[in-house]
Amino acid sequence: MDWFNEWWSEVVRLFNKCFIEEDRYMLFVDGLGVTIKVSLLAVFIGVAIGFLIAICNLSSKRPLRLIGKVYTDVIRGTPSVTQLMIIYFVIFAAINWDKWIICAIAFGINSGAYVSEVIRAGIMSIDKGQTEAGRSLGLNRTQTMIYIVIPQAIKNILPAFCNEFITLIKETAIVGYVGLIDIQKAGDLIKTNTYEPFMPLIATAIIYFVIIKALTIIFGMFEKRLRKSDIK
Amino acid sequence: MSEAMINVKDLHKSFGENHILRGITEKIHKGEVVAIIGPSGSGKSTFLRCLNLLETPDSGEIYVDGELINDKKADVNKIRQKMGMVFQHFNLFPHLTVLNNITLAPVKLKLMTKEEAEKKAMELLNMVGLAGKASSYPVQLSGGQKQRIAIARSLAMNPEIMLFDEPTSALDPEMVGEVLGVMKTLAQSGMTMVIVTHEMGFAREVASRVLFVDQGIILEQGKPAELFDNPKNERTQQFLSKVL
Repeated sequence: MDWFNEWWSEVVRLFNKCFIEEDRYMLFVDGLGVTIKVSLLAVFIGVAIGFLIAICNLSSKRPLRLIGKVYTDVIRGTPSVTQLMIIYFVIFAAINWDKWIICAIAFGINSGAYVSEVIRAGIMSIDKGQTEAGRSLGLNRTQTMIYIVIPQAIKNILPAFCNEFITLIKETAIVGYVGLIDIQKAGDLIKTNTYEPFMPLIATAIIYFVIIKALTIIFGMFEKRLRKSDIK
Repeated sequence: MSEAMINVKDLHKSFGENHILRGITEKIHKGEVVAIIGPSGSGKSTFLRCLNLLETPDSGEIYVDGELINDKKADVNKIRQKMGMVFQHFNLFPHLTVLNNITLAPVKLKLMTKEEAEKKAMELLNMVGLAGKASSYPVQLSGGQKQRIAIARSLAMNPEIMLFDEPTSALDPEMVGEVLGVMKTLAQSGMTMVIVTHEMGFAREVASRVLFVDQGIILEQGKPAELFDNPKNERTQQFLSKVL
């Protein structure tokens, strides 16, 4: 059993060195807060932008459709790191806002393009007869959307939307590029300070995994409840 | 006769290369029950859908109550409130209860308060024989029940005209009767109705006039007895010999 004791004491030593000494675990605690803050604000901005762009894409007016198309094209056609750096170092260069807010705006702008596609697909999945029934009763286009199409589309949108939210959380792992310390950057800092890559990087992976697994379970329960109203 | 309720002049409509309506001119008066019959693809549904602008005509004029409705300045939503439409596939709103299906439009358009709309809805549900289903959802109903609710939903807007687009074509045979029954009651109440249908027996019994549409024009028309028993046009004869 000597080998086990030796191995175990090595694990404990590494653990102490990486997380306990100099209160390094606080880097992860603060980083977790940053990741959550950025993701939550970004998802709100993303939904708002996504909704607007989806309306543009579904509009009968050509200029609006063009705006929607260009937006989605540009965002999907460039890496999110590049977008983040442009927004941080170029567009917001002269504006002195909190780093995390600027990052959230960048991710919101990015996510908006993907959310708009999710919303557009959801709205288009509703049978044309529903719109015709609404319009034939005298409701205008907007009223038909709000009272008839969107309530039905939400059920179809939700799964893909949850997927997008999860992607967004993982994408925020690049905020270190503009000097914000999130979970990923926290792990990276510990690695550089201790010259020990194993513990901090595995810990980073575990933290992300736990957040996302928890979210998946919550979304799954939510979806199940929505589906129930289909059967009655 | 008084001025026509619906007055259609030289109506044309194409879908791409496909010239569906090739010049329909027709007047429909208040209280008339007009059945439109004809082979598949003849343009009868397109004609009906043009009447409430679910399809936009390419050329021609449609007047409802003397108002030109396919004019850019016309208030389409106001005009549609005067015309109920019943679809082949019912198109009930699956996320709403039967009661809310019926009250949605009058309440959201602020024509009635919620209480008034619900009272009206219950009267209509009684009329179509489904008062017990007010709090059900559409998935819980049979096809015939759905279509009767769809009729009630249209009537809740107090329309002057009711348009029916093959209202029984998607139903199981044993449910056709209950829907036709409701339509018959409605016809007897004096409602102006335009019905695209394959139910020749119903057309003969209930319609005041029958139009035979083929290849985008009204080929022949007349009282049901004349048209069904003594068709003059050769194509009408052929069609009737196949369906009767």
